[in-house]
This record gives sequence, C-alpha cells and structure tokens, in this order.
Amino acid sequence: MTSTAAPPTADWAKFRDDPLARTRVLVVDDHAAVRAGLRELLADEADFEVVAAVATAEDGIEVAEHEPIDVAVIDYQLGGRNGLWLSRKLKRLPERPAVLIYSAYTDGVLAAAAVVAEADAIVSKGKVGSELCHAVRRVAAGRRELPRLPPRLADSLRRRLDHEEQAIFGMLLAGLEPPEVAMTLGVSQAVLESRLCELLRRLEGLPAAPSA
Amino acid sequence: MSSLANRGTAITPRPGAGNRRPSAEHRRRYLPLLHRIAGINVLLVIAAVGVTIVVLAPGRLSTLARSEEAAVVLAAVAFVVVANVLLLRRVVGPVQSLTAFARQVDYSNLGQRVAGAEPTSEAGELALTFNEMLTRLEAERRESTGRVLRAQEAERLRIAQELHDQVGQELTAVLLGLSRVTARVPESVREDALSVQDAVRHSLEDVRRIAVELRPEALDDLGLASALAVLCERFSGQLDLDVVPYIAPDLPSLPTEVELVVYRVAQEALTNVARHSASSRAELTLMHTGNLLVLRIGDYGLGLPVGGVPGTGMRGMQERAALIGARLTIGNRREGPGCEVRLEAPLGDPR
Repeated sequence: MTSTAAPPTADWAKFRDDPLARTRVLVVDDHAAVRAGLRELLADEADFEVVAAVATAEDGIEVAEHEPIDVAVIDYQLGGRNGLWLSRKLKRLPERPAVLIYSAYTDGVLAAAAVVAEADAIVSKGKVGSELCHAVRRVAAGRRELPRLPPRLADSLRRRLDHEEQAIFGMLLAGLEPPEVAMTLGVSQAVLESRLCELLRRLEGLPAAPSA
Repeated sequence: MSSLANRGTAITPRPGAGNRRPSAEHRRRYLPLLHRIAGINVLLVIAAVGVTIVVLAPGRLSTLARSEEAAVVLAAVAFVVVANVLLLRRVVGPVQSLTAFARQVDYSNLGQRVAGAEPTSEAGELALTFNEMLTRLEAERRESTGRVLRAQEAERLRIAQELHDQVGQELTAVLLGLSRVTARVPESVREDALSVQDAVRHSLEDVRRIAVELRPEALDDLGLASALAVLCERFSGQLDLDVVPYIAPDLPSLPTEVELVVYRVAQEALTNVARHSASSRAELTLMHTGNLLVLRIGDYGLGLPVGGVPGTGMRGMQERAALIGARLTIGNRREGPGCEVRLEAPLGDPR
C-alpha cells in the first residue's frame, strides 16, 4: 500500500462550521479498546464525524441502513460475520459507503477476498493513526487502494476456482464493477450475487454455509 | 543446516549402520556361546574317544600313538569338531545377527525388521518376537509422538490466538492512543513521543509475526497449497530468501494431520535454509506421483556439514514424518551445490 497521502492543508474551520462537509465515519471492531481508540482518534480530526462505533457486522449494517455513512472502518475479524460480509452488505445499500478494512493481517489472501467483497482499501493495524486518517480521506474521495496481489499467490488462489469464477475474479481484479461483470457474462445481477458469495467463501476458505 | 549430520539416506537401512558401538561398560565380558559349546563338545568327544580306547582296548594304548589308527582317530575327532562348529554356527549365527541388528535400530529406520524371523528354530522364534516387539514399540511411539504433537499444535493455536486477540489488540489500542497524544504534544517532546510510537509499532509487528509462525492461519483458512504459497511469500518478503514454489494444481484433498505435517516440515526446512545454508534462493515443490505425496525443498547453499549431529529441528521433522507414515530424507543434492529435504507421504491409508 502506498502512503502518498496529501497532507491536510485545507481550511479546517470549514468542516467545523459545516457538518455536512464532514466525512461521516462508521467504526466496526469487536475489541472494545481498539473501538474506543478508533473513535477517539477519528473524532479528533476536524473533518471526520464518527456516526457510531459498534462491535458486530450486524450492528454495523443496522446503523448504515438508518444513517448516511461516507466511510466504514471495519475490522476483518469480527465476532460473528466478518468484515468482508459487512463490506458486501454495505455496497448493496442505495448510498454505497466507502469501505476500509482495518486488519491485523493484510496478506495477499485478504487482498484477493477484499476485491470480491468490493472493499476500497486495506489498512494494517500496525499503521499509526495519522496513516489511517489519511487512508480514510483517500477512500472518502473515491480512491481505491488494495495491496497488490503477489502473482504466485494469485495463481495458487485461482486454482481453487472454477473457470467462471476465475473469469469473475479476473474482471474484479481488473477493476470492473459487478453490474459490468454481470453484463459481460450475460447473467442476471442475482445470479452474479450468488456466484460472488461462493467466490468469496472459497477465497476466504470458509466452510460452506449460507453467508448472504 | 549445520546441526544436521550427513545422513543422505537416513531412512534406508545402511549396511554400515553399526554407528552405535557397544560402549566401554558394555564391552563383551564373556566367552561367546559358540566357543563355549564347541569347546565343551570337543572336550567331550576327546574324553569319549579316550575312555572308549581305555575301556575297549587298554593294552593298545601305548602302541596307538604310533599306528595309523591314531591318524584315523584324530581325523574322526577333527571331523566331529568341525561339523559341530558348523552346525552350532547355524544355530548361534542368527542370534549374533539379531544382536547386531538390535544395536542399529533407531528412529531413523523405522519399519525395518530382522530377516529370517520364522518359527522354525529358537533363534527364529527370538527374531520373530523381537520383530513383534519392534512393531509394538513403533506403534506406541507413534501414538505417544502423535499425542505430544497434537498437544503441541493445540497449545500453539491457543497461544497464537491469545497473542492475536489479546496482546495484539491491546497494542493496537495503545498505538491509536499514542497517535492522538503525539499529535497534541508540544514540539519539544514530539520526537520522543514518535520514538515511543515506533517502539510500540515494532512490538506489534513482532507479536503478529510470532502468532503467524506459531499457527499459520492460512492453513486453516485456505488449505495446504495456498498456505505454502503464503509461507514462500513470507520468506521472500522478510528473510531475503527467494523461495519459488512449484505446487501441483491437481493435489488430492488431504487429511488435516497430513497437511499440518507437510506444512511444518516445509517451515522447518525453509527456516534451516534461511539460517544455515547461506543460500539466497530455494525451491519448494509439492506434487503427487502415484500413491505418494512428495514435498521437496532444495537450496543452493553450503550443503550439509560432514559428521554433524542431528539437531532438534531435524528430529522434529523425522518424528512428524513418522507420524503420518512418511519417509523423510535429508542430503546434499546430487547435482550442484546445496541440500535437499524430501518428504514422501503415502496417500490414501496414512499408516
């Protein structure tokens, strides 16, 4: 992940005076101390407003269904459903928030799964606060920055997939949006949805279970 | 791999494997059975001949020494003695070879048995029971090793989770707090605050690394092929050892125990390469041929030192291999420099 963050040089007074200009952030992390730390860190920034800080994916989607969210900062490993499940859910909302996965492990496997779950960025929990804030600003501005998938790992992951899944995976890696993928494959959105669900399960290596 | 002995064919039976000479206090302090019985028999025969002559022809004893009969008697005695020794050797020989075999039995040549173990003689019976005992001991050993390794894996998993869920998360929270503090402190102490923040960051990285080494999450989540690919990536990324994986795409699904053994052997072998071989690249191959799963790790480094002793790492690999009925060989590559670790695990029936 590159850290080419532009230092915030804007006039912060604008954000203090105008709540609408602030980035509305949702925090989802199952560890209380991390959740509190994130909330405080982000709340310190004049251009952020922490809408809520919750512990589970289900609570996260609950909040996002009722309040507009610009960026969701989500831990990958949550108690129940994981962060990528939440990412997929959030991206199906009418107002799609940007999704930043905040995870202890940021290896290539997570990057691959994040592509399928349409997350926008992965930030390691080993990064300091300022880097996280910059990343939140970048995804809020519509940038997408997932770590590059090492070619050998990509090969080994592709072997887990069938031909159609490989095609979908390849298109998503190339940056195509799901509606374009569905159109290319000539399938309905609903069919693609279930394929994506299965694809994500395989990439994450989760046991077969209804996860939609 | 300086801690490893030169054990090119560690598993196959070696003719000169009597590397465990009897120690000083166990040196032979008796006359071998063959010599004793042969000696007694010779004395008995001579005595019998003597008594016979004395009893049957006492008057001829003085002339006997000079007659041709003496030669005949001596030849007969010699024949009896030689026949005696030859026959006895057939009886005692198996006992001696059993002793020699028992001396070289060790963990590196499991599955080897004494030849000629048939219930056709006492020695055969002894060999038979010896073989049965070996089978029993190996089974018990495999079981106890399995128990120990399973307990070890469970403990590693627990520690890894604890490290990740507790220590790692607490440190993350500390790091977030420090980031806030650092942003607010006066310029005079900012440098100090930043260095503390760096220190916390490093410990967080260490905790993560240790947790991953203890228990590869990828193995549980993604299966062996991907876990090995991730392992190779990690060595390439962190340890300046470029590990190229060749993992066959058509691997059959394996029991968890086999996957874990293969993964641990690969991990240990690559760690050895990184530590001892002075090689900057290595290859990891996983494939299956017929009914065998083959893992091969080769490097281009110094090779094994001659006359080293097997270290705990190698012993661990051997024991893990034995657990799934696999053969492990470690030796210098036949072509070119460097050394090679090879694990061959039977597919299907793991035992």
